[in-house]
Amino acid sequence: MERKSFLKSLVIGTIAAPVLVEACKKDTDVATTTSSSSGSSSSGSSSSGSTDTGTCSVVPTETEGPYPTHSPASYVRSNITDDRTGYKLTVKITINNSNNSCAALSGALVDIWHCDAAGNYSEYGGSGTQSTNYTSVHFLRGRQTTDANGLVTFTSIFPGWYTGRATHIHVHVYNSTGTSLKVTQIAFPEGTGTALTAVNGYAKGMTGYTYNANDNVFSDGYSLELASVTGNTTDGFVLTISLSVPA
Amino acid sequence: MMPKRVIVLCYRKIIGLNAVKAWDKMVFESSYLEFKMQAQNFSVGTEYTSYAELLHNLPGARRLNGMVTPSVTGYVQQLNGIMPDLLNNLGRRFLTFKKFKLEIINSDIIDMAKHQVAISFYSEPMVWHDTIGDFLLVSDHLPENQLPGENNKAITNLIQIQPYLNISSLQYLN
Repeated sequence: MERKSFLKSLVIGTIAAPVLVEACKKDTDVATTTSSSSGSSSSGSSSSGSTDTGTCSVVPTETEGPYPTHSPASYVRSNITDDRTGYKLTVKITINNSNNSCAALSGALVDIWHCDAAGNYSEYGGSGTQSTNYTSVHFLRGRQTTDANGLVTFTSIFPGWYTGRATHIHVHVYNSTGTSLKVTQIAFPEGTGTALTAVNGYAKGMTGYTYNANDNVFSDGYSLELASVTGNTTDGFVLTISLSVPA
Repeated sequence: MMPKRVIVLCYRKIIGLNAVKAWDKMVFESSYLEFKMQAQNFSVGTEYTSYAELLHNLPGARRLNGMVTPSVTGYVQQLNGIMPDLLNNLGRRFLTFKKFKLEIINSDIIDMAKHQVAISFYSEPMVWHDTIGDFLLVSDHLPENQLPGENNKAITNLIQIQPYLNISSLQYLN
């Protein structure tokens, strides 16, 4: 679903655009002018709307609060299940460096995301306001940093499926400074005795399922994206895969 | 009797490269890293690097606001529900909030200096009693305020009307 709308957005991309850029430009201009004037507020006494002007923001006349502590993005977590239900799936991804004799790549950031048992993705917070105590807005999305062996481990649920796509997990690998190294997807083995068959598409069943051979992403070959999946519906499943990226 | 005016104040805090306060700097760095990472989901296969270019060519990039938000949630939570920067006339922060919105103003995957975001903080509902000069006299809109409590007394604060502070909603209650 997500990919579809992404592709669609590529197509309709050229319309409506100048307006957006204009709006953006305008916003910046406003911000620049007002921030320079906010420092010299006419009344002078306690203008405190501090922006990033830096030179003359009024310091609160109060005991300095606790200093902020480093807080990673809330994507950074190993268990990405949140409130989703399904068969437990442990995802073990090993990243190695194709530019370094396939040696393990440590310190790489690995984002994964996939759909829930019903085939739905979480939203990224949407366009409205967020409540400070919000949770589960980005279910089944997570980030981990590879260890010395190039390994990241996530706890999740076995993904469901949706029309037009084989079951898959999205992966985006970055170096430690956030530069993209690889965007790819993990495919699942099919056939008798596989996890895919055991899960049987959850409540949906497998009628209308798109198998890897007919999948628009995997059909051109997916041997390097095919994971190994062991386990059963009682104990859960374990997915392992090695991905080579140029770092 | 005058109808009670219940307002929500919105403070739009701009954070860019020149941020000096520790909290602002952390929000700047964290939101930039997340922008850079998430924007590459859109820029892949293109030569676009700026937020404006991505929006211009890929309207789906508007979703980046929501995608980058989790990078600042932890910092917003550290404010413990009190808005930064805005002081009452005694010099204390007092405006409580539970809702916020992150907005990317500008950014660029290959140039951190272009990165500028705004966080809009939305106050809890407040009663706007009066305006004195360019100060608003406000108090928390608590359920008990609706009752003729102890001598009808409310704990009030004076907050100056200033750039980036807006009354974002107004409701008359009888």
